[in-house]
Amino acid sequence: MDFKDYYKVLGVERTASDDDVRKAYRKLARKYHPDVSKEADAEAKMRDLNEAKDVLGDKEKRAAYDALADRVARGGAATGDGGFQPPPGWDSGYEFHRGPGQGPADHAEFSEFFSSMFGKGEHRGNQSRAHRARGEDHHAAIEISIEDAIQGAQREISLRALENDAQGQPSFVNRTLSVKIPAGVRPGQFIRLAGQGMPGHGGEAAGDLYLEVRIAPHALYRVEGSDLYMTLPVTPTEAALGAQVQVPTPSGGVVEVTVPPNARSGLKLRLKERGLPGKPPGHLYLLLDIALPPADTDAARKAYEQLAQASPFNPRRHLGVGGV
Amino acid sequence: MSTYTTTTVVTATVITADSPIAAYELAHACGADLDWVSQLVEQGIVRQEAAQAAVSEWYFDSADLQCALDARRLERDFGVGLDAAALILDLQHEVRRLKAQMLAQSR
Repeated sequence: MDFKDYYKVLGVERTASDDDVRKAYRKLARKYHPDVSKEADAEAKMRDLNEAKDVLGDKEKRAAYDALADRVARGGAATGDGGFQPPPGWDSGYEFHRGPGQGPADHAEFSEFFSSMFGKGEHRGNQSRAHRARGEDHHAAIEISIEDAIQGAQREISLRALENDAQGQPSFVNRTLSVKIPAGVRPGQFIRLAGQGMPGHGGEAAGDLYLEVRIAPHALYRVEGSDLYMTLPVTPTEAALGAQVQVPTPSGGVVEVTVPPNARSGLKLRLKERGLPGKPPGHLYLLLDIALPPADTDAARKAYEQLAQASPFNPRRHLGVGGV
Repeated sequence: MSTYTTTTVVTATVITADSPIAAYELAHACGADLDWVSQLVEQGIVRQEAAQAAVSEWYFDSADLQCALDARRLERDFGVGLDAAALILDLQHEVRRLKAQMLAQSR
């Protein structure tokens, strides 16, 4: 695990005020927000920014982080492989908590470094509360293939938390959740795992874990809501004369599709209810793409010349210029 | 430091219109309260056909949960009011729609 320099991430000095941290975050968030950024690694940068702000924007976490950074600077927390391991008891004296209005506990997307430092702190802080309250919900994302979305899948999710063992010593607890993803999930939908969030306080129930579904890019299909889109290459002959062509479907089969005569490039054909399953099921749309046979033999060149003679055609007529 | 590993098989529920979450669950997922959910409905950030009914009878799907979480983050990280968050989210959705359209046309 690498030590993360959150001050460097935000580009601020260690002496930066809360206001400096807030301003630096907002400025960089505009630069790296995935919706507007032109940077290639915008998503990863934004994740680092959110993580850095979560720590440096909170007085208790920042104080603990600074204390740890001092120990690292003195070489007290390095491991043999040059990596970083928080030392036992590094955070003694600090109690973290998440009060009302601080938003959801969405650390599940943060780094291992962050989780190892602050997973325990929040946990312990919460346990120290005197009142009864349900545990916080956690949020994470899960990326699945189109095939998994259609057929359903069993996935294992790893979560890591720092807890005290029976002897009171801090130990990493790796929790693996074996999750059955139902068939027909769509991008942007949330899957709820009841009771898998933070533990409750004063005997109350644990929170839930929400997984946001993301669909991995596919070589053939593109997802839009419950519909799927696929580019279907056809020859000029098939497009001009019409044809029956075979098309693979995401559920694994092959269907025969009628290309109508005089079809143009970009024509959209709909295969009803062949998209993602659900109520209602989505459709599979085929976007025609006319692929030209290469004129790389005498026979092919002659065929093109014969076509030009047999069917004089000026695709630039609307530009007001003549053909060849 | 020792490490333990445990495996748990859990049941997953997809949040949909047929299997929605209640208003208090939406509030809890966002670290907020029911009054905040009422404000979301008032600002049109989440849809609520039963807006005239009691908050306890409101239910929401995944799209609403996503909008609510996004609004919460804007409030927390940028200090914007919910009215400004509503406008930012509308613009964000339009950007994403247009980007998806451009991507589709470029293929």
